[in-house]
Amino acid sequence: MLRRRPGMWRQGWYRFRRNRGGMLGLFLVALVVLVAVLSPFVAPFEPSDQSAMLRGASRRAPDWIHLLGTDRNGYDVLTRMLYGASTALAVGLGAMAIASVIGVIVGGIAGYAGGLTDELLMRFAEFFMVIPVFVVILAVVRLFGIVVVGTWLESVPHLNLMTIIVLLGCFEWPPIARMARAEFLRLRHAEFVEAAVCIGSTKRSILLRHILPNALPSLIVLVALGIGGAILAETMVSFLGFGDPRAVSWGQSLYFNYEALKVAPWAVLSPGAAIFVTVLGFNLLADGLTDAFNPRLRR
Amino acid sequence: MGTARYIARRLIFSACLILGVSVILFAMINAIGNPIEILLAERPGITDDIIESVSKYYGLDGSVTDRYFTWLGNILHLDFGTSIIYNQPVSEMLVAYGQETLKIQLPGILIALALSVLVSVVAATRQHSRVDFGVIAGAMLGHSLPSFFIGILLILVFSYWLGILPSYGAFSTRSMLMDSKFIDGLWHMVLPVGMLVFFNTATLTLLLRSSLVEVLRQDFILAARASGLPERRVVFGHALRNAFIPVLTYLGILLGLMLGTAPVTETVFTWPGLGALYITAIQQLDYPVIMGTTMVITFMLVGATLLTDIAYVIIDPRIRLA
Repeated sequence: MLRRRPGMWRQGWYRFRRNRGGMLGLFLVALVVLVAVLSPFVAPFEPSDQSAMLRGASRRAPDWIHLLGTDRNGYDVLTRMLYGASTALAVGLGAMAIASVIGVIVGGIAGYAGGLTDELLMRFAEFFMVIPVFVVILAVVRLFGIVVVGTWLESVPHLNLMTIIVLLGCFEWPPIARMARAEFLRLRHAEFVEAAVCIGSTKRSILLRHILPNALPSLIVLVALGIGGAILAETMVSFLGFGDPRAVSWGQSLYFNYEALKVAPWAVLSPGAAIFVTVLGFNLLADGLTDAFNPRLRR
Repeated sequence: MGTARYIARRLIFSACLILGVSVILFAMINAIGNPIEILLAERPGITDDIIESVSKYYGLDGSVTDRYFTWLGNILHLDFGTSIIYNQPVSEMLVAYGQETLKIQLPGILIALALSVLVSVVAATRQHSRVDFGVIAGAMLGHSLPSFFIGILLILVFSYWLGILPSYGAFSTRSMLMDSKFIDGLWHMVLPVGMLVFFNTATLTLLLRSSLVEVLRQDFILAARASGLPERRVVFGHALRNAFIPVLTYLGILLGLMLGTAPVTETVFTWPGLGALYITAIQQLDYPVIMGTTMVITFMLVGATLLTDIAYVIIDPRIRLA
């Protein structure tokens, strides 16, 4: 039997495994995912449980019942922190899924078609890269909240959070498009692609089966970075008071508790630390992936 | 293509960009309808006549396109209209608040630049040592700490626990520190600037260190060393200059990021800058202020990108103009 040489992904994994920073990142990301999946089972209270407030026990310092204390709304800080993980992942993955689809389509067309199409699409992407994204998102979230009043959209659950996710996706695609374009340009004349053309493969199969899979490693690095960035952006939007009041998100906790920073610092520090760990995890992961898939760039 | 043509093209593109942002924002704000109606509706004693006359006073009658071109025409002689909440000229507000934003952002980036050069040189000249590893780890941690979280930690430590620095505002409302407006202002700047310096230094160091390591490995450095130049001149005179090129492009991006997230920075420290003004304006639907602030922030951002683009071409003639 013929033994196959390890493929691109397996080779990448061998290199990734030796990168300590990258492995730490993978561990942190896995931890966040695990918390998101397990939060309904391990959280000590319900995320909507405000009964501490009725007992006059809001803003209580950490003790054995409330391991990380309670916040000014009477929520258990630990519970809200655990449940926040799934919101954060939903934001990060949702936004980057949208950004990846737009980015790969735009960048792929630009790189494969070339010429005027390429020029126009890349100018379009550049426009989005220089726009003050965060400022625009704040305005759109607020104004959209007024536009939907009285329409059927109002009944959509978590509409505000979904608006933020879609907006982040619509603004974060240019880096992916640029990378996709560069990769498609590079691979368009690769030998195996020429070979595929020679045996008469259709354009569709060349693009989707030959070029795209080989462009993926470079794109995945950007997606990992983008997930961390999107989570951070949602946190900042919520921190400023434009988030989804019904979502259990770290940014919301920061927003509600920042005024009470002096009396109940634990209610601010816990979600803040959670954001830090998540963003650090994705940053380290992206760093490790860069080293694993682009060994030429290794320092 | 010549440098002049390249710069002209960038200028035109930047102008189009600012126009594009203004069109998008104007259209969006008008999609919600007449802000006067939203603000005044359901208040006692407000009749349709009053809404109509107030709208007319603020120039809100007429079609959207007409109003856009009036607004654009006025902007060209720096008239940003009148705030519908404060009834003040927006241009005056922009200058007052803009000063406060620059007051923390410029020192924030300049001090960080100096610090990151220092730290990167120390780390890069001792590659793979413990110091180098510590610098990389520290920079990575600092870069991943959300900037507002750094601010919160600084406030907790220096204002609440140690009680030595003010936690909010740009000046004291009761007694000034040492009875001097200047010293009091500086004292209030320490924490916000400290937060920006922390974040910017970490990000710039990550970039500058790896760039410096790369450059120090090249042949012309070997040649400089071989010619007997003192190591200090090799590093600062020859290596640093070349290592700086990628950092320079990033500087524009970083400044843009800082201005774009100014609303967060200024909320953390209750700093009376453009970002804080923008947040209140959005909450109150003060549309001339929303438009004005966004235009100023976009303008600064595009200006920063443009300057770095141009500096890039002038510093490094090897770059192909495309």
